[in-house]
Amino acid sequence: MTRREYLSKQKEMGRNLIGVFPAYYPKEILWAFNAVPAEIWDPPLEIAGANAHLQPYICSVAKLGLELILQGKGDILDGLLFPHTCDSIQNLASIVYDYLGLNKPCYFFYHPKAPYRNSSRTYYLEQLRSFVSRLEKDMGPLDGGELKHRVEQGHHLAAILREIYDLRSQGDFSASNAEFYRVIRQGEYLHPDDFIPLLEGFLGRSKGGDGKGSAVILSGILANPPEILGLLDDLGVRVANDDLLNCGRRLLMEPGRMEDPFEALTANYFAMPPCTTKDSPLDERVNDLLKKIEKSSTKGVIFYMVKFCEPELFDVPQMVAAVKTAGVATLIIDVDLNQGLSGQLTTRVEAFVEMIS
Amino acid sequence: MNSPYFAGVDVGSLSTEAMILDTTDEPVSYSIIQTGANSIDAASESFEKALAKSGVSQDQVKSIVATGYGRISIPFADKRVTEISCHALGAYHLFPDTGTVIDIGGQDSKVIRVGDGGKVLDFTMNDKCAAGTGRFLEVMADKLQVSLNEMGPLSLKAGGEVSISSICTVFAESEVVSLVAQNHPKNEVIRGLHRAVVNRVWSMIKSIGVHGAVTMSGGVAKNSGVVGLIEERLGKPIHVHPEPQIIGALGAALLAKKNFLRASP
Repeated sequence: MTRREYLSKQKEMGRNLIGVFPAYYPKEILWAFNAVPAEIWDPPLEIAGANAHLQPYICSVAKLGLELILQGKGDILDGLLFPHTCDSIQNLASIVYDYLGLNKPCYFFYHPKAPYRNSSRTYYLEQLRSFVSRLEKDMGPLDGGELKHRVEQGHHLAAILREIYDLRSQGDFSASNAEFYRVIRQGEYLHPDDFIPLLEGFLGRSKGGDGKGSAVILSGILANPPEILGLLDDLGVRVANDDLLNCGRRLLMEPGRMEDPFEALTANYFAMPPCTTKDSPLDERVNDLLKKIEKSSTKGVIFYMVKFCEPELFDVPQMVAAVKTAGVATLIIDVDLNQGLSGQLTTRVEAFVEMIS
Repeated sequence: MNSPYFAGVDVGSLSTEAMILDTTDEPVSYSIIQTGANSIDAASESFEKALAKSGVSQDQVKSIVATGYGRISIPFADKRVTEISCHALGAYHLFPDTGTVIDIGGQDSKVIRVGDGGKVLDFTMNDKCAAGTGRFLEVMADKLQVSLNEMGPLSLKAGGEVSISSICTVFAESEVVSLVAQNHPKNEVIRGLHRAVVNRVWSMIKSIGVHGAVTMSGGVAKNSGVVGLIEERLGKPIHVHPEPQIIGALGAALLAKKNFLRASP
């Protein structure tokens, strides 16, 4: 079933569909409102109209998201959510909300940036409550029991994902790179009632593996074009872990076990790995990446950049230097989304694999 | 049994090279042809020409490694290896003190850090754009109505230098047209173009760092003007083989031998 077919079915079931721009938002709250968040990262579209609204130096995540709206491909959605991820997404929110005259509710979610203080937690808690108040205006009152259930479901989902990632990093997970990310990324639009059984089945059939081949880690925003994963499969290279914004960086490490679901969600936010879009200190990011490298005996890190992604590009030189100092090879790739594998990109990846093999 | 021979075929965007090696790693013959529109035909033709020159029969060639952008489509190759690994190994074989390779080819440029045995330790490569590569110089030579081979000697005779503000082939072409219209001496324009190429590759050199002796490979290494400006910037001489285009094919042939020996009992 395609993503669109799935979302249509969800709508038929009476669920609201909320298009969500990257990256951090409390999806459990949307689930509790019987809504399905459908994340917008890299819709497979040709950028045409978006170029009239955005500068040439804006990343293709923002451009493709706007293109989706301009081409009417988001008509199925009941609303849009713009987390405050970066300046580009923030400006996109302004263009869509203030200028396009879209006949859909737009929601905004402002998560705190590092360095964190006690007031950051209070602020986040207030943002959660304010987000709920805004949603209640369109979707009716929130059922507190349902929110608690969805928070627990989110913890269960995170536990399965952690187990999959742990097995993967130890070489005990047999799925190919392409299959691994195809399944994991379905979490960007599947309702948890569907995603959890999918992940459990995936875990069951993929447990075990020979751990052969060189291991690499991907760092960046998202692995697109997906052909890059197939190329690594063909070259016998295993992506043992990732520091990708759409995947590993949103992996909940220590779930908040508080009785109050808002308190638990707040704890969850601060328990996620460090990230450029949260202004995490560089040393936290370096330590997190070095830990991943050590845990998975990685020989190389591929910094997979989306062109013009400012938050990410600011950290790259220091991240590369730290990884090289640790004796691990690095490769920087800078791409526009959905551009396919060029000959030069293929050569770079192949040469990198030859270098670490 | 006759002595085995090994071959490397480097299918680049503009030229294709084939190299035949014997068991002592000595080049027996090589050929350089234009790639044209069909990389498989170019690979076959180049290989056949190298065979014909060597007097070695195809049966005697026991292992063939293909490299270059066209490597994936060469049907008679036993193995495919990137030009980055092949240039590193070829340069190290010719100049064992090589620590850095600058390869400026037809449509891309690379800077490679080379370690013991010719192993790649790090590298950088230009992106999709062919700015500052052989193709850039070819377009400019055409616009200035000089041959590619004349560009180096002409630029060395320049009394001054005209600044070229763009390295983009399209924009630089317009700029050259304007400079010619303003009666700037041709050799000064060429020197400016060479400077633009060197500026482009210099940022790549800086990102990898200069380690050990520097060897330049690829067709642009035949341009004495570009080589001179790189040496000036580095503050030291660089190694340039009389046929810098064959270094990739040489590396591929060396890997073919290694491949054969590894597979043989």
